[in-house]
Order: sequence, then C-alpha cells, then structure tokens
Amino acid sequence: MTLRKRFLRAANLLFIVLLAIQFLPDRISKEPKTGYVIWFAIGAEALVLIASALIRKPQSLNLFLDIAGFLFGFLIIWTLATAKFNLLKETLFPAPGRVFAQFIEDIDKILINIRSSLGIILQGFIMASAIAIPLGLFLGWSARIGSAATYISKFLSAIPPIVYIPYGIALLPSFRSVSVFVIFIATFWPVLASTMSGVLNVERKVIDSAKVLNVGRLSMLFSIILPAALPQIFIGLNQGLTVSFILLTSAEMIGARDGLGYYVKQYSDFGDYTRAIVGILVIGIVVIAISFLFNKLQRHLLRWKK
Amino acid sequence: MKFCEVIGLSKIEVQNLTVDYTEKNNRFTALKDVTFSVESGEFVSIIGSSGCGKSTLLSILEGINSPTQGNILIDGKPISGTGTDRGVVFQHYSLFPWMTARKNVAFGVKQVKKDLPQSERLKIADEFLDKVGLENFKNKYPSQLSGGMQQRVAIARALAMDTDILLMDEPFGAIDAKNRTVLQELLLKLWEGDGTQEKKTVVFVTHDIDEAILLSDRIVMMSASPGRVYREISVPFARPRNRSELVQTEEYSKFRNKLLSLFYSDIADKIGGSEVVL
Repeated sequence: MTLRKRFLRAANLLFIVLLAIQFLPDRISKEPKTGYVIWFAIGAEALVLIASALIRKPQSLNLFLDIAGFLFGFLIIWTLATAKFNLLKETLFPAPGRVFAQFIEDIDKILINIRSSLGIILQGFIMASAIAIPLGLFLGWSARIGSAATYISKFLSAIPPIVYIPYGIALLPSFRSVSVFVIFIATFWPVLASTMSGVLNVERKVIDSAKVLNVGRLSMLFSIILPAALPQIFIGLNQGLTVSFILLTSAEMIGARDGLGYYVKQYSDFGDYTRAIVGILVIGIVVIAISFLFNKLQRHLLRWKK
Repeated sequence: MKFCEVIGLSKIEVQNLTVDYTEKNNRFTALKDVTFSVESGEFVSIIGSSGCGKSTLLSILEGINSPTQGNILIDGKPISGTGTDRGVVFQHYSLFPWMTARKNVAFGVKQVKKDLPQSERLKIADEFLDKVGLENFKNKYPSQLSGGMQQRVAIARALAMDTDILLMDEPFGAIDAKNRTVLQELLLKLWEGDGTQEKKTVVFVTHDIDEAILLSDRIVMMSASPGRVYREISVPFARPRNRSELVQTEEYSKFRNKLLSLFYSDIADKIGGSEVVL
C-alpha cells in the first residue's frame, strides 16, 4: 500500500473535524469539559496513526480504521447534539467531555465494580465448566448409552436461569453466592448439553482409530473424545458466557451492593445519568474485552480446524 | 522359533469366520465360513468387489468388530478386541485432526512404548516421518496436508509403532492415480527394507488388481453375498519388484488376465452364468 493510501483515510479526516468542532461556542449550562474530548481524540488518533504504519494486512487495517472512523463520527454527533447545539435534554444526555471526566474521576470505584462483577462471573463460569465438561464427556461416552441424560439436560437447560434468582435469594446466604449460583446454572446446562452432543457426534472412524491404537479409558476420554468434541463444547461455553453477563448485570440491578449493574442502577435512581452512561459504556467495553480474549482462546485451541 | 510355528500354525490363522448382521429385522450374512492363514513376514492382499465383506473381515482382524462364529489366532492365541500387536491404516480418518503429524506418530508410539519419555517418542516420530518423505511437514495439522500426505503420516505411525502385523484397509483407495503409484512404491520399499530386518506380516485390503499384484506374495480373492474366500493365488514375481519393469513382462499380463478372468467368472456365477458385459 502506498503512503497516501495508508494515511489519507476517512478516520483521519473525521478526527480533524472532531477536533475543529470543539472550538465552536458551547450552549449548555454545565461545564462541557471539552479538554477531555480533545485528549481522548488525540489518544485515539495516535493509535490510528501507529496502526496505519504497522498493520500489514489491508483487511485488518481497514477494519481498524473503520471502527476508529465510527468512533470519531459518533463523537462528532454526540458533541454537536449536546455541548454545541443543545438539541437534547441536558440532564439525560450529558456532553461527552462530562462523561469522560466522570469516568476518570470514578476510575477507582469502577475498577472495584469490574473486579466484583468479573470475580462472580469467572467463579460461576469456571466452576460450571469444570464440572459440566468432564460430566458431559462421561455421560456422552456412556450414552452413546443414555439418551435419558440428554433429555433431562435439554429440559433443564430450557428453563431461563433468571427465574432461579428469587428462590436463590431465599435459599443462599449472600447476594454474591446467589449470583455465582445463577451463573453456574446458566453455564452448566448449555455446556453439559453441548459436551454431550459433541461426544455423540464424534466420528465413529476417529474412535475406531483410537481403539486400534489400544488407548486406555482415560486417554480415550481426555486425549481423543475431549479434543474431538471441543468445537461443539465451545458453542455451549460461548452461550454460557453471553447469558452470564446478561444475568449478572440484571441480578446486580436487583439486589447487589457493588458490581457494574449496581453502579448503573444506583446512579440512574439518583438521576445521575452521566454516571449511568459511564457504567453502560464500561459494561460494553468489559464484555467486548472478555469476548475478544475468549475468542482468542477458542481460536488457539481449535487452530487445527480448517 | 516361535511357539505357533512349532505346532504348525501360521502367524495369523483365520478359522471359519462367520459374521451375521441384523439390520431393520433383516438378517444377512456378511462373511460365511472364511478360512485362510498368513505366514510370518508374508504380504497378503484381500481383493474382491465392493460388498464382499473384505472390510468387515479386516475390522475383525483389527478387533473393532467380533465375529458371530469362528476365531482368529495370532501367534497361536485367539484375539479378543484390539491389540498393540497390530498396526492399522484406514482409508480415511486414521489421523487425529487436532494433533500435528509429529504428535500423531508420537501418540501411536506412546501406546506401545509407555515408558519411553516424550522426547524419545518425538525422535522416533521424526525418524519415520523422514522415511515417508515428510521432513518439511512434521508440524502441520492433517487439515493442512493432502490426502496422500495424510496416508504417509498414517503409514509412518503404523511403522513407528513397530508391530509385527500391519493391517491396511484400502489405504490408497481415495488417492488420485498418480500419487497412488508413488505411495505403493514407497510402501513396497519400506516393507521390503534392505533385507536385514525381519519383514512385517501385512494384510492389505484393496479392489485394485494391479496394486495387489505389485505388492503381495499372495492374493486372497473374495466373492460377495455372503462373503467367502473364492480363490487363493500366489504371486510368482521375484522381489525386490520394480513396477515399470514388471508391468512390461508377458508373465505380468498373463497373470493379470488370469486374475481378471477369475474375478469376472465369480461375478458371472453370481448373475446365473449369463452374459457379462465388460
């Protein structure tokens, strides 16, 4: 790619527009904290320039620049609609500078909430996977026997796990344990079901190949059946993870004393919509980051697939 | 001298093997009273049209299926199930797709030599992958290899396990004609060796007559419904064999024609002796 093609991009143009409109007069009553937007934009643009220079593959570069372009475009509209022309209700739609400022001011509190939410999710998710995968391998393997197990897990996995929350609150000592329990359930059934169907769908020929090598029982389950079923197991894991986030944030809005859902709910109740928006954005970023990492793990473990 | 040889038994004795299947309440006989033997170090091909039960027969030798009646003795002892005395190459899916070529071979070695450290197993794997000409593909996954290369890995694994017996179920059946000849010659070279090692006992299933003649000491011809041994024919050509020289000789054409006519006379019997259109 020529230099011109690399750097003459919509993203860079939008950056300049975003920067320029910051100098229009403000029309809102609260301090718009324009400086934060400028610094954020400069930071993002610096990343864009580094990426433009370093990323080799044209597709990856295009993807990155398109995302940056969208981000700048969104910030332009947001700035114009709030700080510069005051088209929206000021209390409900704070200017972007105020949101960034609030984020930085609250960063310690936010990190604590992220840690609390992630801790619960990881605990429930990992416990559920650690039990469901070996159990699914075992049940699936003997069911190339037990269709009963398949039906039971299908039935139980069809119950939306959110309905366990009220009962869980009555049953368990703390909100945290209820959340872990609900996430455990939400992950357990889809992972169990997908593991079992993964095992049932392992090619007969693959099993025959292992048999003629005379592999032992444990080796058969963990060196042959597990990797062969892994693509399907990941379908269940993905489903469990997605539902876990939805459930946890909902649960935190009902009864928690910390966590990201609690942060959003609490400040919405107080009419502090700047913080509510900060919370929503942070949840979005956390979910994207976790899915990104999880995807990397999946791609690494399934790198043998075409 | 081995015990089985002392009492006059061959390396592999297939005795009165009968296999019945029940499918949708219909009972049918896949193999009927199949009896033959394979000497130690002998290369035997089993040929027959599709549906003659040759793959069923091999699956029983592998230990994956068990017969309704009859026995298979290896070294004088009846087999029950699979065993590490037999190396197997299938037509498809012999390899585990989540392991690299190297790991696939090393995994096979691990099953026969549990005590060997992994580094030694990998060394053996490398050695055999070199022998089948895959020096530069050791760390590839099966999905990154062509069908012919996958079969080379499967052969390398079977050889690396160093079993007395090799069972091969149409290993080159899905390979294009040009690569098939390359692989046949590779197998021939590896099996004939340099004459110093003891030869493996091979049972090789195929439906390709030229393949059977080139490779085998003896050909067991099967006929279909139910699968039976129709003829056993010794292949009279000296080893080491060279395909391009062999196929030009008159003896080769004669022998091949004889086999073909036997093959088709069986089919003619089947359809009541009426005219066979070739």
